[in-house]
Amino acid sequence: MKKFITLALMAALPSGVLAHSKIEETTPADGATITTVPAEIGLNFSKDIRLTRIQMAHEEHLAVSLDLGDQTNFGQEFTIPLPSNGTGTYVIEWRGLGEDGHAMQGEFSFTVE
Amino acid sequence: MPDIWGIASILAKLGLYIGFAGSTGLVIVSYLYSGFVAPISLGIKRQARALAWLALAATVVGFLLRGAALTGGVDGMVDPEMLGLLWQTSVGDAFVYRLIGAVLILVGLSIPHFGLWIALLGGTVALWSFAQIGHVPEQESIGIQLLLLLHLLCVAFWVGIFSPLRSLALMPEHLTDAAGLGHRFGQAAALIVPTLIVAGLWMAWLLVGNLQGLLFTGYGQALLFKVLLVGLLLILAAANKLRFVPSMQSGDAKAARHLARSIEVEAIVVLVVLATTATLTSVLTLPS
Repeated sequence: MKKFITLALMAALPSGVLAHSKIEETTPADGATITTVPAEIGLNFSKDIRLTRIQMAHEEHLAVSLDLGDQTNFGQEFTIPLPSNGTGTYVIEWRGLGEDGHAMQGEFSFTVE
Repeated sequence: MPDIWGIASILAKLGLYIGFAGSTGLVIVSYLYSGFVAPISLGIKRQARALAWLALAATVVGFLLRGAALTGGVDGMVDPEMLGLLWQTSVGDAFVYRLIGAVLILVGLSIPHFGLWIALLGGTVALWSFAQIGHVPEQESIGIQLLLLLHLLCVAFWVGIFSPLRSLALMPEHLTDAAGLGHRFGQAAALIVPTLIVAGLWMAWLLVGNLQGLLFTGYGQALLFKVLLVGLLLILAAANKLRFVPSMQSGDAKAARHLARSIEVEAIVVLVVLATTATLTSVLTLPS
């Protein structure tokens, strides 16, 4: 019976189909390869969102939270200053709240050569 | 896949569904069938109270988990900025409705006689909270919100009969009460279940809007999965109504045990339906 319940619950949790994270565009673009570290990153959303946390992970450094500055209102376009860690792959993970109360999250990455 | 906070939120929502549907359902059944359930009325009250406490705990934990989802860490659960932010959105509205609802159910259950009305009001307020948040209010239609409330009241009524009917069916000395309750519920279910299904399908159509969205999106497929499970429930319910309950009315104690077992399977299927719904309303986006 326990196996049946576990299997049934797993079947009820669809994988891969997410979520309320409707990001339209990022700067740099997801998966892009560029030659210099950008001074800032940009995130454009299809609907208003209040960003709550942005983390930057770099292959040679621990993940750090980026400063949102005064961008603590609902909006669709955000520009966040990016500290430079030199060449390598940068992974940006963002979290936020939609106006409908849904928590949103996503990530994108780019490589500096 | 949702992250750990997303999965924890789904589980908290499942607790909310079980707690509010169960406690409200038991209150409805206690009121409508007071004569039949009199031998187990104390047990029903105890269960309803436990379920209301579960709903209250899930309400608070669910709210805090939303804070964690905003920061990606446990710090979000006590971060005043995050919780304040949530408070200003529909999440805060739903939180207030649920707190009031759970408290009214608990208070109502501790007052004899007219307390059931207070508990019923609390259950309705709590169920109404689900129409204040998620995909339904995005449609900006009071009609669809009322449709959801109707759907949820029917679900609560159905869920609420499980435990009392099972308990009575397992007491040979109360076989007549069990048969009577099963028969009366079967009559009501002939109206309630079609209402539940029609309201559910109508909402699905209003939310998804086309066959393509239903067949080829995660949201639509999860909805179809729910419909499939409800179909399974209907088969069980038909067996209860047409076979076991009539046999019980003729004094067949063995049929009562079959009915109890059938109700247990129904409860498991309902649990999967609720888990699907918790996922559907948490992480799957409506087809655009």
